[in-house]
Amino acid sequence: MRIYTQSSEETMRARKLLMHWTGDGYLSKEQYQSLEQDTVSDLRTTNIFLRLVLFFFTMIAVAAAVGLFFTMFLSRTSEQTIGIFLLIFAAVSYTAAEFVVTQTRLYRYGIEEALAVCSVAFLCAGLDLFFFSGIPYSPREIQLVIPAVGAIASLWIWYRFNLWYAFPAAMIFAASLPAYWTPSHSAQHVFIAVLYAAGLICIAPIRSRHRFDTLEDAYSLSEAFLWLGIYLVFNLKIYLVFNLKISDFSLLSYWGSPTRFTSGFAGPFYWTTWVLIWCLPPLILARGVRQKDRFILAVGAITAVLTLVTNKPYLGWQRHTWDPMLLGIALTGVALLIRRWLALGPDGVRHGFTAARLSGNDKHAMSIGSSVLGLITPQSITPPPQPTNPDFRFGGGGSGGGGASGDF
Amino acid sequence: MNILARLDLWKEQGAISAEQHTHLESLSRREPFSLSLELNFLLYAGVLAFVAGLGWTISTWSHQLGDVLVLTILSIILTASFWYCFSRAPAWSAAETAAPTPVFDYVLYLGSLVWCVELAYLEDRFHLLSGQWDIYLLATALLFFFLAYRFDNRFVLSLALSSLAGWFGLTISHWPSHQDATYRQYALLYCLVIGIAGAVLQNLKLKPHFFATYLNVAANVLFWAILSGVFESHDDGLWFVGLLIACAASLAWGLKRRQFAFVAYAAVYGYVGVSWMFLRNVSDETFIDGYFVLTAIAMIVMLVQIARRFGRPE
Repeated sequence: MRIYTQSSEETMRARKLLMHWTGDGYLSKEQYQSLEQDTVSDLRTTNIFLRLVLFFFTMIAVAAAVGLFFTMFLSRTSEQTIGIFLLIFAAVSYTAAEFVVTQTRLYRYGIEEALAVCSVAFLCAGLDLFFFSGIPYSPREIQLVIPAVGAIASLWIWYRFNLWYAFPAAMIFAASLPAYWTPSHSAQHVFIAVLYAAGLICIAPIRSRHRFDTLEDAYSLSEAFLWLGIYLVFNLKIYLVFNLKISDFSLLSYWGSPTRFTSGFAGPFYWTTWVLIWCLPPLILARGVRQKDRFILAVGAITAVLTLVTNKPYLGWQRHTWDPMLLGIALTGVALLIRRWLALGPDGVRHGFTAARLSGNDKHAMSIGSSVLGLITPQSITPPPQPTNPDFRFGGGGSGGGGASGDF
Repeated sequence: MNILARLDLWKEQGAISAEQHTHLESLSRREPFSLSLELNFLLYAGVLAFVAGLGWTISTWSHQLGDVLVLTILSIILTASFWYCFSRAPAWSAAETAAPTPVFDYVLYLGSLVWCVELAYLEDRFHLLSGQWDIYLLATALLFFFLAYRFDNRFVLSLALSSLAGWFGLTISHWPSHQDATYRQYALLYCLVIGIAGAVLQNLKLKPHFFATYLNVAANVLFWAILSGVFESHDDGLWFVGLLIACAASLAWGLKRRQFAFVAYAAVYGYVGVSWMFLRNVSDETFIDGYFVLTAIAMIVMLVQIARRFGRPE
């Protein structure tokens, strides 16, 4: 069912590991040259930059080809006809993706990925135009066909081509399904969580069969997305994190009674979600620690921070300007405590974990990360202006970069 | 055959020693599992959240807290951070040096960010330089360059580069509304300065590993500046010629040094600029679509050739 055989992917992985280990000095150059012969693969791959650029240009070529077709041959046609042709283009794109992989053995090359992504996009757009154009009041139950097909197609692309980003795309399609089943917002949240939980239940046993092989990473990432999805579905105040405005918090404080914060949701549901956003991060972290899974650990840490950030709005408590400072101190304290605790173990290892850097990859990632994060910091720590405070004068300045981005 | 089976095979064949087998097997089994990345990210997020809260608190409550208290707190944090760094740092070396302690980089980063907050507060309250922010920016950039080179810190180097960009009147957030000739000139000057400085410092073997940061920042600012020139110039093709030269240079550099980010810059920025020049006066949809089909396919073919010949997997 998968387009790449497991042995091909294992060979690619072994080749990559050989390069890393040689770079880290665990293998000599001679050993690398000798072992490299053992990891010759028929698959063709490239580096991340060329992969991204090839993806970009393939998307342009496909979109322009479809646009050209419609401009030349179907400029004055009904939307349903356009829909039919989009469905045909979906099939053509998918066939092209399969063809370039089977014939030219492309692997993470950008081209086959863009073709597969285009096929899902054309499929959804084509279905929408074919079934629903010119029908103003189509039944809601029928409309769910599009996200359902989008979810299934994305899942297929994820499985068939092993493209990690198709999985969150399927999750997003799936998240729009319950809106067609029920008008109740609470029920919609529960349905989405049930769908994601079902995904977790399906993935967990499959994943255990792929311990230490090449598919483990794919399942691990998907599981991490599912955990994150469940958390985000239950955190009803998550929008505050992505749209932080002091006025929102002031407004909340005026509402007074906690029941006012639950607007749109039943009280018991609201408070159940509050309990869940506290229960989920430790659960996810425990799973990550048990599996020694980097992605799940990261999701556990992210959800823990999100819970801390959204707890006050949840409870209707006044947020303070110094809350981020306390969060910063807490994060730093936790990092230092874990580091110290691990370092005090025999050889700096406790329960199979260490704070030491074991791979040159980590160093490389830190180098790139620190350069990029250093550049974006001046924008990210700029405090929001506070129009509610009449004494406000010192604001809007970007601290990092010498306040280059603000007017102080 | 997964990697564990392969390691066993290589050991049996004598391709790797027993010690290597044990070590590589433990790495593959994630025994031990390194939390280095996660802990570093927690430290970074902690420092960032702390300074954001500090700036927010001061901006909101400065009048209630009073200048003395605010400046005292900021000065204590600043002094403590820099004292920690100068007291713990090993002797300076021109080569790449590891941080003496795991938290060293983040303490330095904290000190640098608090410096910015304190400087902004001082000027806002006391108008020491009568609002001449460019002087503050230049002084801050120089300080950060010094700290970056003294302590071998990329975080602070990036801060220095963004402060210097600010001094040149350049902030990324202002780009969409300020694409005028003045900004372009400053942007080009900025690229020239940091490009030359980076190259000279690399030739002098002064922290040569910083060169990639200089070059990436310079390349992106340069391409943005040239592209804005291409978009806004209606008559002369000077900017377009400049774009072609920059693309050729970026491509040559990327291929020669196997730094494929520069190949990507040349392909994407070049394609955008050339397409703009060809299509700016065209309204025929068929021509536009045909152009994109043909050129995108041509780019794909060219990039596949490059990938085959040069593009090693990473």
